[in-house]
Amino acid sequence: MIDIKRVIYKYGLLALFVLMVLFFWIASPAFGTKQNVFVILQSVSVTAIVALGVTVSMSVDGFDMAAGSIVSLSVMVSTATQIYLGLGAFPAIVFGLVSGVLVGVLTGALIVFAKIPDMLAALGSMFAIQGLSLIITAGKSVSKGNGYNGAPAKGDFDPAFLWIGSGTVLTVPFSVILMILVGVIVAVFLERTRTGRLMRAIGSNREAARLAGTHVGAYRILAYALSGLLAALGGIVLAARVGRGDVNVGSSYLLEAISAALIGFAVFGANRPNAFGTVVGALFVGVLVNGLTMFNVPYYTQDFVKGTLLVIALVVSFSKIFNTQQRDR
Amino acid sequence: MSTATQGAQDIAAQGGAGNGSTAPAVLEIDNVTKRFGATQALKGVSFRVHAGEILALVGANGAGKSTLMSIVSGSLTPTSGSLKVNGKEAVLGSVKDAAASGIETITQNVDDALIPDATVWENLVFPQIADNRFGAFPSVKAMRAEAERIAEGRLDFDLNETVRYLSTSDKQQVLIARALATKPVVLILDEPTAALGVQESERLHADVRRLAEQGTAIIFISHHMGEVAELCDSAVVLRDGAEVATFTKPLDTTAIVRAMLGDLADGLQNDFDAVEGREQTGKDGNPRKAGRVVLSLKGVRSFHGTRANDIDIHEGEVVGLTGLIGAGKTELISQIVGDRPLISGTMTLDGKPYDPHHPSDAIRAGVGYVPEDRSVQGEIPDWSIRENLSLPDLKRYRHKYGLLSFSREESAAQHVIETLGIIGKSTDSIRSLSGGNRQKVIVGRWVSAQSKVLIFDEPFRGVDIGAREDIARLLRKTGTALVASSDPEEILQVADRILVMSNGVITGQVDPATTTADELSQLIADEAGITGRNESDEDGNDVRNVQDAQDTRDKEPVA
Repeated sequence: MIDIKRVIYKYGLLALFVLMVLFFWIASPAFGTKQNVFVILQSVSVTAIVALGVTVSMSVDGFDMAAGSIVSLSVMVSTATQIYLGLGAFPAIVFGLVSGVLVGVLTGALIVFAKIPDMLAALGSMFAIQGLSLIITAGKSVSKGNGYNGAPAKGDFDPAFLWIGSGTVLTVPFSVILMILVGVIVAVFLERTRTGRLMRAIGSNREAARLAGTHVGAYRILAYALSGLLAALGGIVLAARVGRGDVNVGSSYLLEAISAALIGFAVFGANRPNAFGTVVGALFVGVLVNGLTMFNVPYYTQDFVKGTLLVIALVVSFSKIFNTQQRDR
Repeated sequence: MSTATQGAQDIAAQGGAGNGSTAPAVLEIDNVTKRFGATQALKGVSFRVHAGEILALVGANGAGKSTLMSIVSGSLTPTSGSLKVNGKEAVLGSVKDAAASGIETITQNVDDALIPDATVWENLVFPQIADNRFGAFPSVKAMRAEAERIAEGRLDFDLNETVRYLSTSDKQQVLIARALATKPVVLILDEPTAALGVQESERLHADVRRLAEQGTAIIFISHHMGEVAELCDSAVVLRDGAEVATFTKPLDTTAIVRAMLGDLADGLQNDFDAVEGREQTGKDGNPRKAGRVVLSLKGVRSFHGTRANDIDIHEGEVVGLTGLIGAGKTELISQIVGDRPLISGTMTLDGKPYDPHHPSDAIRAGVGYVPEDRSVQGEIPDWSIRENLSLPDLKRYRHKYGLLSFSREESAAQHVIETLGIIGKSTDSIRSLSGGNRQKVIVGRWVSAQSKVLIFDEPFRGVDIGAREDIARLLRKTGTALVASSDPEEILQVADRILVMSNGVITGQVDPATTTADELSQLIADEAGITGRNESDEDGNDVRNVQDAQDTRDKEPVA
């Protein structure tokens, strides 16, 4: 006998996604054009990359609340490196990524050594880093021609840097390729490497993982460092696309990234962080927002729609309504 | 509630305690079935429990005991069949309904039923608070008085104590006192002695007997045949969701085990014979030749301030470590496996210094550890058998580009599944297995990791006899091992020699070939008694204690 609840649990969200795509496509022919598909994918790429980092932090049963603020920090660091310091794309990218890794390591260290609960430590980091990215630019946005605190700008955006956001490879936007690449790497990392396996063991039963010889603290810090790295990468893609460093531009990505990662729990009934689900989750959010925009649904309803979607995904994933796993005999 | 209580009192008044056949049936289970999705967990179980009867419900893990008891205690509803309490049809939709019908359950894991940060007295009256018996603004005085009434003559410790700090045995006493407050017709005890030491078990047995004499019907679930034979009036055996046999006093444990295991039993019997055979050679005064020392402990302590112990484990030797709960077995073991820092002394492994600071150091050196609490310390619950098996040793499965080779992992898993007779596919979730098979997976980790020394802490807790035999067989075949258990029967079954521990000190050594379970229980209890007296001594430096330890030192085999 086919267990209908089980089918809904495993494939429900994926089916909903396909239905939604079909609906928008049929209702609005413009939706299915190659151009619009790339618009959606491009807008999703930053969210997906940040969400993949959050997924890594969740794999050790953590929760990188600081991801959004790391996006802001990396945007500010990478843009300021070019405009204020007059350096090129390469140092801008390196400084941006290093800033993210440092925040991740710091958050991880707070959790492991000071024994602060994951959420609270990341929340603390989030506020501190939000503040720090303001200090870097004296509270101003970084844009072409404007130097630090009114001083003349020492440099301009490196075209190579801007190419990350707007360049294409065989007509496919580079940021989309980057998203797919990061998705595959994270998936392989979590499922096929020893480090990924041990991280998932920690996420499922920390004590058992430790007694089986895992250096739990080191792997938890590593997970936050990787989350920080990917959030910073998301920030670089964002800065490159927008071509300026806006104050607190990353904060909206926190909610979207966390939604994408949590929606990912419900894809294929995995009920755990997984890279494929996270990318689907990011697409889900992106397609929904794009489709609603095409139907002229006001922008101010978007957060409500996104929030509702998240709640539905959480119900599918966590409640016992659809998840009819057999109990012990 | 009131009618049920009345019933219990009537029965008690009749004085029909003790003998199941003349007393009326208070609980009639009639053709109860339960289906979970595609799985038929119960295939029509029927039996009766009489007032004053102690009925043992036995069966291997996965036989359906827990499902049946969940139905009787109201936390599951049966797919079909009926339950009658005192001759009246009982519809049990919840635990509260069951309690109202006069059925109370003491869960296997006592912490599930208690609020750890509340006091004993708060826990005692909690069901009544929940039932709004004290109103929205309960008077502390009234609740306290009620708690004292419940505790009277049952609990000999401070009611203001926080439950978190009680021993397992005391927590259980709190639960029993609370259950008895409603004067239940039937009291279900689910593996109540699984986490208790010898003395604590004795105390519980006495309690259960007293309750039965007062007319309460008892359903006693246990894996220990010795306990069942000694305590129970009758036994119902479940196998694969059906009741296969019913026994009455005097209980023949061999027949019960055979009924529990079915076809398995014959193979098992051969194994018991094999054990006998080994013991025979032991009695000839020619025990297995002790090989070279593999793991040597010098001057190690279970606790700060207790006397130091020396232990040598020889190649191919299974050393048993027994003593009451709290004797210091786990504390000693956790130092050997790098879970806690060494308090004092030195260790050598294969003649080389061995000083693990983390479990990974121990594993690298070839020490495999099966921790006391399987679900908290052992299993990765969401994972398959295969993934659980390979966890401590993933480096071995890396191939190109540092990726894990699933095919290598799979063939290693197949090997362990065959070696230990794990019932399940390598891709099955560990949660879908019975307790015994889960434990085999945790043990199996160290088979594929090819550990030199196995350190097992209570490896047979909640493990059925079939699985216990499989693990014991593995130990006998390959083992250089230290096995800690507070169960004399278990330890006698697996160990080549047994060290008795009390208050952190090894106080004696026993040859399993010449000792019975009763003698060993007596010894464990005696040793605890002696050191217990010393402990009460202000100095703590009792001459007698020193002498004891000195004797032990002399008895240690020379490596």
